[in-house]
Amino acid sequence: MARNLNLSQCIAESLKLEMERDDSVVVLGEDVGKQGGVFGATRGLQKSFGATRVLDTPISETAITGMGVGLAMEGYRPILEIMFVDFMGVCLDQIYNAIAKNHYMSGGKVRMPIVIKTAGGCIGSGAQHSQCLWGTFAHLPGLKVVAPSNPFDAKGLMAAAIVSDDPVVFIEHKKLLLTRAEDFPFGSDVPQERYEIPIGKASVVLEGSDLTIATLSGTVLSSYAAAKRLEKEGISAELIDLRSVVPLDVETVSASVAKTGKLLVVDEDYLSFGLSAELVTRVLESGIEMKKFGRHAVPDVPIPGAVTLEEAVVPGEESIFVAAQRLVRSE
Amino acid sequence: MATLRQRYSYMVWMREFELACLEGVATREIHGELHTAIGQEAIGAGMAGFLRADDAMCSTHRNHLHAIAKGVDMRKMLAEIFERESGLCGGFGGHMHLMDSSLKFSATGIVGAGMPVAAGHAYASRLRGSDSVAVAVVGDGAVNTGAFHEAMNIAGVLKLPLVVVVENNEWAISVPFSAASATETIAERAQMWAAQGMRVDGNDVEAVASAFGEAVAQARRGEGPTIIEAMCYRFRGHFEGDADTYRTEQEKEDRRSVDPLAITRKKVLDSQLATQAELEAEESSIAREVKKMLGEVRLDPKPSSEMAHQHVFVGGE
Repeated sequence: MARNLNLSQCIAESLKLEMERDDSVVVLGEDVGKQGGVFGATRGLQKSFGATRVLDTPISETAITGMGVGLAMEGYRPILEIMFVDFMGVCLDQIYNAIAKNHYMSGGKVRMPIVIKTAGGCIGSGAQHSQCLWGTFAHLPGLKVVAPSNPFDAKGLMAAAIVSDDPVVFIEHKKLLLTRAEDFPFGSDVPQERYEIPIGKASVVLEGSDLTIATLSGTVLSSYAAAKRLEKEGISAELIDLRSVVPLDVETVSASVAKTGKLLVVDEDYLSFGLSAELVTRVLESGIEMKKFGRHAVPDVPIPGAVTLEEAVVPGEESIFVAAQRLVRSE
Repeated sequence: MATLRQRYSYMVWMREFELACLEGVATREIHGELHTAIGQEAIGAGMAGFLRADDAMCSTHRNHLHAIAKGVDMRKMLAEIFERESGLCGGFGGHMHLMDSSLKFSATGIVGAGMPVAAGHAYASRLRGSDSVAVAVVGDGAVNTGAFHEAMNIAGVLKLPLVVVVENNEWAISVPFSAASATETIAERAQMWAAQGMRVDGNDVEAVASAFGEAVAQARRGEGPTIIEAMCYRFRGHFEGDADTYRTEQEKEDRRSVDPLAITRKKVLDSQLATQAELEAEESSIAREVKKMLGEVRLDPKPSSEMAHQHVFVGGE
């Protein structure tokens, strides 16, 4: 039975368990201490571990990420919270010039076991507070990019991100963060004890035979609802939660496409130069016979302010349903 | 702590090291825009001897002298700069990105970016409950970046053990400091971050050493951050190959005539810390040592092409 928790509490629980077992795990960010994070994903940590290990920083994203670099060089495992993924532009230099590259530039001698946890996704907040941007981070060599879709995965992937010796950009979906575990049709049972979900292994959420829908984060939930509707239309969709963009589990997707012959990539991030093109290309390169493919992503416009406009460009249950139906039925 | 006599030796090593690097540019053994700090040796040598292995130093694109001051192995540095597999970073870093994790030394090619990293080292000292300190060395160009402000502010509010040495060589590539800074000095800005600020003559190795030693001691005692603005002049262009037409020939000639090596040498002689003959013998011995080191480095293999895919992730991928 699902415990009475929302997804952000599952993340806080994971952080607490990691901090208990490893003194080198520290948390830095805006409002992460006393407030417990604007989404509650660090609640209780400062109380348990003190104001030095769980530091409320000034609004200084460059200082937060740069300090993470110095802390990692000192053997710490910093968890850096950048409140919204949109704010990463403020400190992208530290992320892609230092965090992503220091291991490489040092010839493998310096490690950057850093988790940059942040919130992404559309909830009607307009162009500067609604992006996903995982494609941006995936483009930059040296970063692992994780975006969980449910409470069970969120807790286990966070544990794996913290113990990872590589830097991980961990993007939590704002809509999911405040959703109760019991309201998820999958991944709602969250054990109290610590566990890890390996980063880079996709999960098959629904098995099907007519097409493969591959996605991650918030659109797994809307694709799930769309798949249930497709089922009533006589279309059997296999739904794959990629869980991470880097590494990208092409093997699981290819194996599914080998069965269904059709691939629809659903992406809440921007269409061009992103996850959808990358995944389709890699499946093609894998040599699997793919009869048809489709890309359903934000069509290269900023996320609009009014929800009526947002709904027009962001993949949701209805648009995924339509896109999947079109892919299967068109000849 | 090093004596004036020892600091002069450091300066000679530093000058000879940079001259060896210049040779590699001419022969195209070194690629990219190499930045030398010829003329700024009194600052590098002034910092030598104060830092322990557990103190951190974050440097810049013009980093060679800082690394020498921190005690980084010069042979490995030279090999990295000459793009050899035996280099400090196996050839993956290059001259702008020297890193030695065992000595907590790192450099960045992004102006200002070392500041928050140094603040992170300083915060690690706080977490450990240690008296180790972090040093950030930057140029005068870095002081106008957001990273500089953010790091100074957090160091001030948390009273972090951070010592910032600003090498004010008066030119951020082609833009003079006077045209880039709202304040006349950098030192005077320190008060806005509740830090100590001081300006010293960066050609005076003893003045630098005295200011730096005191700032490090204060940081160790938990008395918070200091900014040391060390005035200097870069003798060569911003990088090797810079036409350097933004400074007049007259200015360059005048300013190069004030050579920190000559100043320090005279001090050593005047204070009778060594004789002319002793200094000459040491100078040629250091020059020979560096030449020998360069000869060895040149025999080291270059990294092979298949290595380029290593080290993106710890576990491969």
